[in-house]
Amino acid sequence: MMRALSLGALVIFILLPLVQAVMLSFTATVASDGVVEGTIGLMNYAKVLAAPELRASMVNSAIYVILNVGLCIALGLPAAYALARYSFIGDRHFLLAILVFRLTPPVVLSLPIFILFSKLGLVNSPVGIALVHCLFNLPVAIWILESFIRAVPRAFDETAFLDGHSGPSFFFRHLIPVIAPGIGVAAFFCFIFSWVEVVFARILTVTAGKPITMAINAMFGFQTDMGMVMAMTCLSLLPGVAMIWFVRNNIARGFTLRA
Amino acid sequence: MRLHDNRAWLLLLPALVLLGVIGALPLMAVINFGFHDIFTLSNVHWVGFEWFGDILRSDRFLASFGRSLLFSALVLSIQVPLGIAVALLLLNCGRLAVWGLMLCALPLVVPWNMIPMLWLGLIDPRTGLLGPGLAAIGFDHKFTALHTWALILTVDTWHWLGLVVVLAYAGLSAIPVAYRQAAAIDGASRWAVFRYIELPKISGALAIVFLLRFVDSFMIYTEAFAINAGGPSDATRFLSIELGEEIKGFSYGQAAARATLYFLIVLAVVWAFVAATRRAEEAA
Repeated sequence: MMRALSLGALVIFILLPLVQAVMLSFTATVASDGVVEGTIGLMNYAKVLAAPELRASMVNSAIYVILNVGLCIALGLPAAYALARYSFIGDRHFLLAILVFRLTPPVVLSLPIFILFSKLGLVNSPVGIALVHCLFNLPVAIWILESFIRAVPRAFDETAFLDGHSGPSFFFRHLIPVIAPGIGVAAFFCFIFSWVEVVFARILTVTAGKPITMAINAMFGFQTDMGMVMAMTCLSLLPGVAMIWFVRNNIARGFTLRA
Repeated sequence: MRLHDNRAWLLLLPALVLLGVIGALPLMAVINFGFHDIFTLSNVHWVGFEWFGDILRSDRFLASFGRSLLFSALVLSIQVPLGIAVALLLLNCGRLAVWGLMLCALPLVVPWNMIPMLWLGLIDPRTGLLGPGLAAIGFDHKFTALHTWALILTVDTWHWLGLVVVLAYAGLSAIPVAYRQAAAIDGASRWAVFRYIELPKISGALAIVFLLRFVDSFMIYTEAFAINAGGPSDATRFLSIELGEEIKGFSYGQAAARATLYFLIVLAVVWAFVAATRRAEEAA
């Protein structure tokens, strides 16, 4: 009984703001040609999909998130393997360093990052955001992948090498399939910290390349069409919800502090 | 057992290079800026520790520092126990647990700038689902400091509870059944099971939760600014809001000095935390 009540309270607490958003997204909040305020329907979604800058923002967000997740996994895997299998001079310092990078508040670095990236020509481009988000995602990816690799017995590596596999062939043909769930979980956590981030996304997109978060910001104005904003928000949730669904059975492996 | 081999650094190299360029380099730049007065990027004067002195001596800084510390303390003391409680609850739910985890993870994928908007919509006195009820009992997040704090805490808890739940659940579900059976045979109380079996097993996951939640709440900006922009009368003026004002006001030298200070504060906390964790590990 207590359990059912607490679960019910949890469900209500989490869903309440989202329910309101979904309801608003199907309601016309601003009267426009032929549509009376308060009408229920899909017009907000139609308006969002008809706006080229909003469509572009979805593409921008998708590009930088995919790039970021790809980079974090590609650079994180070898690093995680090294940390899981070898001890070496400075390994703990490396772990401490990535912890510090993960915990450095983005706002602290925003100004020099902007100057550096404008010199490199990476402002207004999804590539810039993808790179800078590695600052907090790469450490998380390394932690998660390391814990998954550590769970694979050493003998697994040795057998593969005895069978004559070279380093890269072992990596791609043996290790990656075994720790695929770990890669999924790492991708999930990188996704949730990157897709919704606003500080770097704002300073690195001055005139173009705006991601979803900034496109939503730009929708607020003198007369904000709340229904349209909520429709955009609901659409922006879909990839996240899909990610949650894909990793649902492995998400509970989580990650722990290694320092 | 891990082999000792210093060539492992080669595998770390790509990650290290990237973090050096996007992390270490900007960090050095920001520290350097903090010692200068910056009019434009080509018109820069050395001012030494002037900015640091100004900031540390100002009462506003100390007040914001206190507010941010209090906010982090409240966030941690609400979200960590609540998250563990929810994780324990889900642990006893069998197949429902996966759905519970997915539910808790949902707020994590909402764009940050929309989170305060969702809640402001929810408590809007005219159109919100909760608005009329809250207005009836006199809730006013614009002009009553206590209510602003309550709202920001609620919003932040809504946003981040899922992270605590997922990581705590991960630790809890990794405990072998044999431990619980042994405890049941010994007739251990629920509290004893938690204190001596569950808590030690999730300490690794909790450590990272503690650090992540500390830093993010200590530097809270998006939610706090959108909800009341530091008001009423500075009651929710956190450290990051002061920094944001300076950046918007183009006082980059001072902003950089402030950013350096914030970084040092965060660094000190991380270092103290890691030192404590290592000592606990060695004692265990």
